[in-house]
Amino acid sequence: MAQDNLNRDQATARIRAAVTQDLLSGRISLLLGWQKGLFWWRSRPLFARSQQDLERLVWDSFCAVNLSRYLPEELSIEERVGILVKGCDARAFHRLLQDRMLDRERVLLYGLPCPGMLDYRLLAEAGVKEAEQMLEEGEELVIQTGGGEERRPRTDFLLEKCRLCPHPDPVVYDQLLLPPGEPWMDPASRFQDLEARERPTPAERYAYWSGELQRCLSCYACRQVCPACSCRECFAEQQEPRWLGKGAGLNENMLFHIIRVYHGAGRCIECGECQRACPVGIPLLELSRRLAKDIEELYGPYEAGMDPEAPPPLLTYRPEDPAAFPEK
Amino acid sequence: MSEALKGKGADNGGTAAGVGGSRSSGSGNGAWQPLIVAFCCNWCSYAGGDLAGTSRLSYPANVRVIRVTCSSRVNPLHVMRAFQRGADGVLIAGCHPGDCHYTSGNYHARRRFSIFARLLEHAGLEPERFQVRWISSSEGDRFAEVMQEMTETIKALGPNERWVDPRWLKIT
Repeated sequence: MAQDNLNRDQATARIRAAVTQDLLSGRISLLLGWQKGLFWWRSRPLFARSQQDLERLVWDSFCAVNLSRYLPEELSIEERVGILVKGCDARAFHRLLQDRMLDRERVLLYGLPCPGMLDYRLLAEAGVKEAEQMLEEGEELVIQTGGGEERRPRTDFLLEKCRLCPHPDPVVYDQLLLPPGEPWMDPASRFQDLEARERPTPAERYAYWSGELQRCLSCYACRQVCPACSCRECFAEQQEPRWLGKGAGLNENMLFHIIRVYHGAGRCIECGECQRACPVGIPLLELSRRLAKDIEELYGPYEAGMDPEAPPPLLTYRPEDPAAFPEK
Repeated sequence: MSEALKGKGADNGGTAAGVGGSRSSGSGNGAWQPLIVAFCCNWCSYAGGDLAGTSRLSYPANVRVIRVTCSSRVNPLHVMRAFQRGADGVLIAGCHPGDCHYTSGNYHARRRFSIFARLLEHAGLEPERFQVRWISSSEGDRFAEVMQEMTETIKALGPNERWVDPRWLKIT
């Protein structure tokens, strides 16, 4: 797993120094980064416009939020925006670029090779409740529990989206601020876990998904954080025709999620922000990944957000394409 | 057909009209009859249906045909809406690949609905309930066959319970 010899404080200092220069010189008018949130296990987006703001900048193991999603909005006000990009932020940037939501010339990308972000839920299960109970030493976490000290590999505590991530290093940047790391997931085997979780009958699949989606609050956080959801008017709010009512019945929840996933088909960068942002813990990434797997099976290998010139599979075709239904 | 179009302009975006009858259209004795919504492309499949008619071929009355300009005109939301409002099966029929009136519409439809069919399968729909078929305007017999086959498959499966909007079940 990617890790440099710098500890996180040194890395933060290096990032801060690089961006401060550009912000003060007016090369960028806004920097998108991360700052600590209300909890030690949360880092939230930082919108820095001054040196003072930059003092709050952090680069720790909880900077999971995908910042690229904020770019289209910010670029409507700001002249030139600087942004810190991990692997997934960079692919999200490509996604937005390909959807013509961004002007490449007005964005300055600072690349950060990502070591994978930690999941508080997994830490809490291992007994970590306070920041002081956890110390990161390279690839290991030193955990203080009632019984004493425990050393566990850092990979045990990654967010699902990070555990499955084949491209932790940014695929696009203007300046790389930290040394590149080693990826831990082979793109070709990234769907292996799905086979183990196969549910053989339609009834089982329906029972599983209706059980999960029953909890959906219709808050649409999954859509709001999604770098592939860039419609100005979403079908969920469309008045004419009105596809969704105001109720949050199971059939409408499922309709919303099926269509949301479908709209991301061949465009989803598998960044898992939908799942991370979900307040009721619905494993949303799985459906999108199952679809990405089908697309690869039917129409050849494709990873969204890697190459902005490669057309998304559902926006193109070949006359000899196979179909998932009988053609004769 | 005209009823289906009228329903479209009402309060909803989809395939409402003609669907509500599924649970009550029991041909007199109360037996359940499946309801199948078939989106047919204007240039091939709908004309194929016409040919079936003028050739005096019969096909089950369970199928309600909705004419669309192209198979790629169908929005997955139309399919979902049909299921919500009581359809037991949905069929999309278009020109054979290579024969699209708009050159490439059905090639796009093939990719889109292959993927959409897989998605519905992952979400728990029986794969038989959502079908795509290519029927040309000279294949009146195939049109009748496809409709017959689909009706029989759905009859064997029984009523669809996935994604049905309970508010629509009462209106029959």
